[in-house]
Amino acid sequence: MRSRINSKTIVISVSVLLLLYFVVFPMIILLYDSIMLDGHVNFQNYANVYSQDVNWKALTNTVQLSLVVMIVSVIITFPLAWLVGRTDLPGKKGFRTLLVSSYMIPPYVGAIAWVQLLNPSVGYINSILRWLFGLETAPFDIYTFWGLAWVLTLFYSPFAFITISRAMEKMDPTLEEAARVAGASPLRTVLDVTLPLMAPSILAGGLLVFIAAGSCFGIPSIVGMPGNVEVMTTRIVTYIYMGDDAGVRDSTALAASLMFIANALLFGMTWMMGRKDYTTISGKSTRPNIVELGKWKIPAVLGVSLYGAIAVVIPLGSIVMTSFIKSMSKDIGFDNFSFEPWIPVVTSAQYMESVWNSVVYGVVAATIGTALALFVAYLAVKTNIKGRSLPDLLTVIGGSTPSIVIALALIITFSGNFGLNLYSTMWIIIVSYLVKYLTMSVRTIAAALSQVHISLEEAAQNAGANWLRVCKDIIIPLIAPSVVAGWFLIFMPSFYELTMSLLLYGSDSKTIGVLLYELQTYADTQNASVLSVIILAIVLIGNLILNKVSKGNVGI
Amino acid sequence: MAEVRIEHVFKRFGAVTAVDDFNLVVKDGEFVSILGPSGCGKTTTLRMIAGFERATEGTISIGEHVVSSSEAGTFVPPEDRDIGMVFQSYAVWPHMTVAENVGYPLKIKKVPKEERERRVQAMLDLVHLGEYGKRYPNQLSGGQQQRVSLARALVAEPGLLLLDEPLSNLDAKLRESMRFEILEIQKKTGITVVYVTHDQSEAMAMSDRVVVMSMGVVQQIGAPHEIYTSPANKMVADFIGLINFLDGEVKGDRIFLVGNDSHSWANKNGLEGEVTVAVRPESITMSADGGEFRGVVTHRFYLGDSVDFRVDVNGHIVRVIKKGSDIEAFPDGSTVYLDFDQVMFFKRN
Ligand SMILES: Nc1ncnc2c1ncn2[C@@H]1O[C@H](COP(=O)(O)OP(=O)(O)OP(=O)(O)O)[C@@H](O)[C@H]1O
Ligand SMILES: [Mg+2]
Repeated sequence: MRSRINSKTIVISVSVLLLLYFVVFPMIILLYDSIMLDGHVNFQNYANVYSQDVNWKALTNTVQLSLVVMIVSVIITFPLAWLVGRTDLPGKKGFRTLLVSSYMIPPYVGAIAWVQLLNPSVGYINSILRWLFGLETAPFDIYTFWGLAWVLTLFYSPFAFITISRAMEKMDPTLEEAARVAGASPLRTVLDVTLPLMAPSILAGGLLVFIAAGSCFGIPSIVGMPGNVEVMTTRIVTYIYMGDDAGVRDSTALAASLMFIANALLFGMTWMMGRKDYTTISGKSTRPNIVELGKWKIPAVLGVSLYGAIAVVIPLGSIVMTSFIKSMSKDIGFDNFSFEPWIPVVTSAQYMESVWNSVVYGVVAATIGTALALFVAYLAVKTNIKGRSLPDLLTVIGGSTPSIVIALALIITFSGNFGLNLYSTMWIIIVSYLVKYLTMSVRTIAAALSQVHISLEEAAQNAGANWLRVCKDIIIPLIAPSVVAGWFLIFMPSFYELTMSLLLYGSDSKTIGVLLYELQTYADTQNASVLSVIILAIVLIGNLILNKVSKGNVGI
Repeated sequence: MAEVRIEHVFKRFGAVTAVDDFNLVVKDGEFVSILGPSGCGKTTTLRMIAGFERATEGTISIGEHVVSSSEAGTFVPPEDRDIGMVFQSYAVWPHMTVAENVGYPLKIKKVPKEERERRVQAMLDLVHLGEYGKRYPNQLSGGQQQRVSLARALVAEPGLLLLDEPLSNLDAKLRESMRFEILEIQKKTGITVVYVTHDQSEAMAMSDRVVVMSMGVVQQIGAPHEIYTSPANKMVADFIGLINFLDGEVKGDRIFLVGNDSHSWANKNGLEGEVTVAVRPESITMSADGGEFRGVVTHRFYLGDSVDFRVDVNGHIVRVIKKGSDIEAFPDGSTVYLDFDQVMFFKRN
């Protein structure tokens, strides 16, 4: 009995301390730095920053962009989720996979693809349209506010799609059937019952999109910066790159504002969801009410296909195609395709080192993270110690903080000012991945743990096993699939992470995301495409494994 | 009000035949229950009447209208069938007040506001929720929500009311009083009712006629006492009430319990070979001095208002329920005599 309490207490205290040190402490330092000037509380930093037009413009751009992306995502996503979830749309399963799959494409890869398609000089779509209609100038310019909004919408609307379709699945279908027998047509039923009942989830999905779009760095840096469309994240990076004290101070003020907006929205959302809970008792006799599309079937299939093509097929196709083009200056034709462009990339020691770095950091982060997630989840789900969900909450805070804020906080905290100096080492990168992605793993493992009945553990304890032994012999084998899934949920986003890696890498710790970003900024489209395809392939394989072990329940 | 005709209706889900050649005419103003074990196709039948499920074959008419016909390709959607429906899960809309819930069918029909309010209030009074109009459903108990659902189903005065296990989420006491309320309302409105349940006492107590289903097939249609006293087959006999199934055999023109020749019955239905002798525990009289069968008491269970005995008659274990609470009248091991009343015979399989 004694040994059980001791090992448990030690393990739990260590994980709490680690989380406090690596998640909470840096953010406090960041906030502290942003409001301190020469040892006094002073909001001069903020005044400085926002008195400059470029920063003020970046703030309004961020808010406007996020709003546009949120609203458009919801408007597009609700009918898509309804069609896929609640109608007899042919090929529903395939469409669902297609619609969520842009979720697993690294955002900056999407941005690179859209730059290839819509840049005003040589964008594929622009070229085709000019040739078709004999236009003098390119009809589209991606390097604008609306171009940025377009790419952000396509890449973040899956957040809304997933939230909304989950809520749709959870809703008791008899609520809709009751409206039908009351005389309402299918459309009227959607308007009077489905939509109002789903309003909280729709809003939640929208806010997730808002936060993701506002915190994104990859897409605005590739699509926005060339056309001088600045957002908060790009401004923060610009200031950090200045490298001097003033730059860092200014960036802390901007980062603190961003963190504040994101967290305020998240807490508001959580509070609202908690208050307006429409879950009702659902009888065993409920089966989803499948609406027959009838004559709308073909238009619906066309509409959903069109969206799938625009969001996933065309951009990915563009990247894959570009990676196989022998000469970018020649026309596209079969004689111009070959593996040639791949050879310099896969034989380059420099490139392969970055790929290797990313794999190693991903594996290390995922392994440490899974171990930590196990303890955090166990504590939250299986014990009744006071404050048991505190570590869980800390990981959630880490996950909901914009990457750029995490990176900046780690830079100012772990550059030796407070003992530990991780600057330019691989460890600071790994810590950043853990802070950002631990929560996904915790969620997955916690869900599995809550299914393991306490009596199974008690039986093992009666048999004389101590707590660690119980974990090893009973709990872990039972939740193994979720542990593996949790591992991949850290590994994959870490593997292709860009924002934090870009701010934290050193000369020996360049990752694949950073390399790709550099290639793109040097306008090396060809190599960028090859590297993108490599990333996509690895992410795809990871997702297939994840799907297999979790039986389709978890995915990125 | 409306008559419902269901003719040769089949429903197949791939290889599964959920409803197999269903035929039923529900008369205008009649209360018919569909009763059967879980998965026998009750809900599927009701949902075909409502229009949420398309019959694979057959015709369904409500009143004058054919609402579903596989031959003619007719299919009227639920909103145009003029029905009311009550769901097991209540399906009361949480974002509307009680009055808004109940008033919704009238709103769809564009009934003017004053008349709507008047009718909603009358409906709420009928289900004893007169004071609750302004509340939201999450401020109501399960039983109250189910009454809102009932009021909503009735407010537009449909010709037909469909209920799918409306009481099974309620506790036992409430279930009894709600049975009574539903019956009262049916009497007042004269509406035709099709009521799905797996609870036989509910079906027996409420209905004019009961349809017993098993594995998609209708086993018997009849008034409750008919179903109880002359079940069409072993399945129905077993499903409705308690019953002893004892092994019997035909010898000559008489039926005997296997291994016992102290008593026999006339073989009226001309059964052959091995048969099942069925008798309800409460149709057996037990005494200490003489009767059709001699047996020995092996177990007794005290039930409060009655005692449940197991009696061994030549190896047949017979269940006997005796009214009254005198458990000591026939102690374990005592010899008793049994007289069987209302005995039924089925082919043994
Ligand atoms: N949409 C469907 N797809 C496939 N099979 C179905 C579907 N709906 C019903 N079934 C099958 O049809 C049969 C009858 O189902 P139904 O829901 O009508 O049963 P029930 O009598 O209402 O049972 P319960 O008392 O459990 O509600 C079952 O075997 C069920 O599995
Ligand atoms: Mg049912």
